[in-house]
Amino acid sequence: MDVVTMLKGMTDPMGIPFYPIAFEVLGVLTFALHILLVNVSLGAVALAVYGRLKGGARWERLSGAMAKAGTAAVSGAIVVGVAPLLFVQVLYDPFWYASNVLSAAWVIGFVFVMMLGYGSLYVFYFGKTKSSSAWGVLSFSCFLLAGAIMHVLNYQMLLPERWAGWYEKLGGAVVSGTTLHAFSLPRFLHFIVPSFAVGGVFLLLYSWYFAARPDFDADYLGWTARLGARLAFWATAAEALVGVWWLVAIPKDLHFTSDPVFLLAAALGVVLLALLWRLSRDPRPQRLALHAAGGVFAVVLAMAAAREVLRRLYVGRFGYTVREHPVHLDLGSTALFLGTFVLGVSVLSWLLAVAFQSGRVAGAWEAGPRMRAWGKLSLGLLAAWIVLVAGFGVFVTLRNGGF
Amino acid sequence: MYPIWEVPHLTAGMVIGLIATFHILPSHLSTGAMWLNVWFERKAYQENRPELLDFVKRYSKLLLIFAYVFGSLSGVGIWFATTVAAPRAISGLIHNYVWGWAAEWCFFMIEVAGIYVYVYTFDKVDRKTHLNIGWVFAFASWTTMIIIVGILTFMLTPGVWPQTGKFFDGFFNQTYWPQLLMRTSAMFAIAGAWAVLVASRLKDERARASVVRTASLWGLGGLALAGVFLLWYRAVLPPPAQADLAALLRPGLKTGLIVPPALTALYFAFLGARPRAASFWPGLLAIVMIFAGIFSFERTRELIRKPYVIPGYMFSNQIIGNDLPAKGISSELPKINAEGILKFDPFVPPELREVTDANRLRAGRMIALIECSSCHSLETGGIRPLPVFIKRLGAASPDDVSTVIDSLGAMPFMPGFSGTDAEKKALAAYLASIAK
Ligand code: HEC
Ligand code: HEM
Repeated sequence: MDVVTMLKGMTDPMGIPFYPIAFEVLGVLTFALHILLVNVSLGAVALAVYGRLKGGARWERLSGAMAKAGTAAVSGAIVVGVAPLLFVQVLYDPFWYASNVLSAAWVIGFVFVMMLGYGSLYVFYFGKTKSSSAWGVLSFSCFLLAGAIMHVLNYQMLLPERWAGWYEKLGGAVVSGTTLHAFSLPRFLHFIVPSFAVGGVFLLLYSWYFAARPDFDADYLGWTARLGARLAFWATAAEALVGVWWLVAIPKDLHFTSDPVFLLAAALGVVLLALLWRLSRDPRPQRLALHAAGGVFAVVLAMAAAREVLRRLYVGRFGYTVREHPVHLDLGSTALFLGTFVLGVSVLSWLLAVAFQSGRVAGAWEAGPRMRAWGKLSLGLLAAWIVLVAGFGVFVTLRNGGF
Repeated sequence: MYPIWEVPHLTAGMVIGLIATFHILPSHLSTGAMWLNVWFERKAYQENRPELLDFVKRYSKLLLIFAYVFGSLSGVGIWFATTVAAPRAISGLIHNYVWGWAAEWCFFMIEVAGIYVYVYTFDKVDRKTHLNIGWVFAFASWTTMIIIVGILTFMLTPGVWPQTGKFFDGFFNQTYWPQLLMRTSAMFAIAGAWAVLVASRLKDERARASVVRTASLWGLGGLALAGVFLLWYRAVLPPPAQADLAALLRPGLKTGLIVPPALTALYFAFLGARPRAASFWPGLLAIVMIFAGIFSFERTRELIRKPYVIPGYMFSNQIIGNDLPAKGISSELPKINAEGILKFDPFVPPELREVTDANRLRAGRMIALIECSSCHSLETGGIRPLPVFIKRLGAASPDDVSTVIDSLGAMPFMPGFSGTDAEKKALAAYLASIAK
């Protein structure tokens, strides 16, 4: 069977409840957030382990802060990762599922590797002693392995012409799923190396944020900022080299290098590199922490879009597009999502605002009248959501035949 | 169709079952715990009993670490397990319910941010704001249950969805309300059991007694209500599910449904009367008991869906067995019966597409992997082992086994065989060979 016919037969016949572009945009946006948080996690854990091994007052202090930030960032990376996981299955189901089943044991293993990595990160964090650094190393290694599995799944899916060969052996089928079949080192590194750049920018933000706190020593904050700026610059420079390496490895017939989205992302990357170069020679780089963070975000977002373009090109070799699924418009559930999304952004912003404002003062913090009202509103929105959805549920139940 | 993932002995379906059952403990803790927490936090402020805050802090740390390390990851785990064990089934669900899951994800984001802010701003932000954070978390986490129950119950009772194809018609189906209420009650019981465990470690006698008394009363009430709603749930099960229940609910599973929750209820009642008697190991045992009860329930729920993963649409072996006019989908059975399953499934190695004398047993095994291995182990041990079943039925020759295969569809819990005659003979030959 040729690959084109095979893919047609595999595509889910159920259709999708809204236009594909919506899922694609959400997929790119949430993937960008996911990989940023992955990078913060890896960067923070690496700094925490290094700091504890290195010792000394400043490094120890920084190590503690990074270990704590690491635990939160990993939670964030996991929960944000759920969204692209959903959207990739909506638009690229034949590719995603085939790739997963062919390495099924690793897919299950991924979950346990993550649990081990996350569990040992807490042991490291609570441990506080030099000897517990081993837990930090274990944690970092687990996360790297988890990322490698994720990478393999994302890469195998782009190579449908090779699936059949991976599946069959000696007149039978290989049904154990214990093999990882394809790995692209430059692609993998392209997602991992930025961890150090993002870690560096995270240090700049750390220094900028706590500068408002009188109980934080200015020398210490200045040191972290300079360290962060240097780290960010060198890691971004290394990332540019890795990027070139990856570009060389991408099949020429895809014509990725002339794609405008990619060119934009690359141009933004160069601007960021220039900004970071300046910061790495600045005695007080934390002044521009927000610029650096904004720059990193823009580059990651553009790169995520370029990655989606590349995926389109790969699957396009077999005539597959994101418009493959019939659209059965379901406005009810689309409205449910949109409403929930607006609510979610509002409530989440309140929580983050409380965290942001309270962390910036030494000692106790008292919410002002506006924050208080926003908090009440958040609760009200949630209660209203429950009442509306339950009420609608009762209506639907009665219409369809009662309880 | 996709490649097959075979898990010897256990079956791939059981991998989903094990991860899913484990997930209940942290996930229902997560949805239930904060209600108990804000209750005590408020009490501590109002009655000026700071010693209660010691409990609140420990309990929310447990929530942060246990629920957000093992809970969120095992949740992702269920998803991954279904992806590799039943890709077509999860795909069908996702293409229908993507907006439901996306909405649930918005609440996950609130939950994760909420628990960190809650735990790390104790004594940092003013009391009113801190309680407000707790309430936001409690509401947001319960809403995740409101959503997921719609999708879970859809997999057993899709309501009028097969006719209309509309999201909410499948979502608010006949088992939605009893199951939502049952899980909501159970979540208070689970939260209560965890709270007893945490409180048993408190130094302050008075705080320990108050927490244990309240938590065990919540637990007892939760269990009692869950029992009532379970009966309601049972009563509204559709006839095919009732038939499965009659055929497949073995005494062991039935005991598992009744005895562990009953013992836990007794324990809660005892603690309600003598809260000072709470201690760690019995508390842990209570959680194990609850786990046994949940496992039995989830197993039963899984059994009564058979032979479908999505009733009226797709069988457990992921063959689309019914027309679905609302979505313009037709049953795959006519095509499979005409041209053969080995030709229909694009992943069958080319050499096995046509049954020949030379490849008969290997082709038969391939068919068994595609059509039977989602529910049956092909080994002599493990879950519903086919070699053992065939032997038990006294079918020794391929012809005898062929007769057995013809009868499969007549059982309420199995899809019939689909494929050509030659394929049936190959399957029969393979099954006879492993039953020797
Ligand atoms: C939907 C899941 C499912 C699928 C798919 C399935 N079975 Fe079964 N099968 C069951 C269940 C459940 C039982 C009952 C087991 C029990 O009694 O505990 C059963 C029982 C059997 C029995 C014993 C029947 C008896 O009377 O004791 C045989 C034989 C059997 N299956 C063969 C097959 C074959 C061959 C296939 C593939 C063509 C298959 N099954 C596919 C679920 C399934
Ligand atoms: C700390 C652990 C993790 C690391 C290091 C990591 C790393 C990565 C990397 C490197 C990629 C890109 C791979 C490529 O395109 O080649 C990726 C993609 C992805 N990750 Fe993660 N990840 C982690 C945890 C998770 C978790 C827990 C989930 C699930 C909730 C997840 C879901 C995804 C998804 C769905 C994609 C693909 C997105 C898309 O195709 O649009 N990741 N991850």
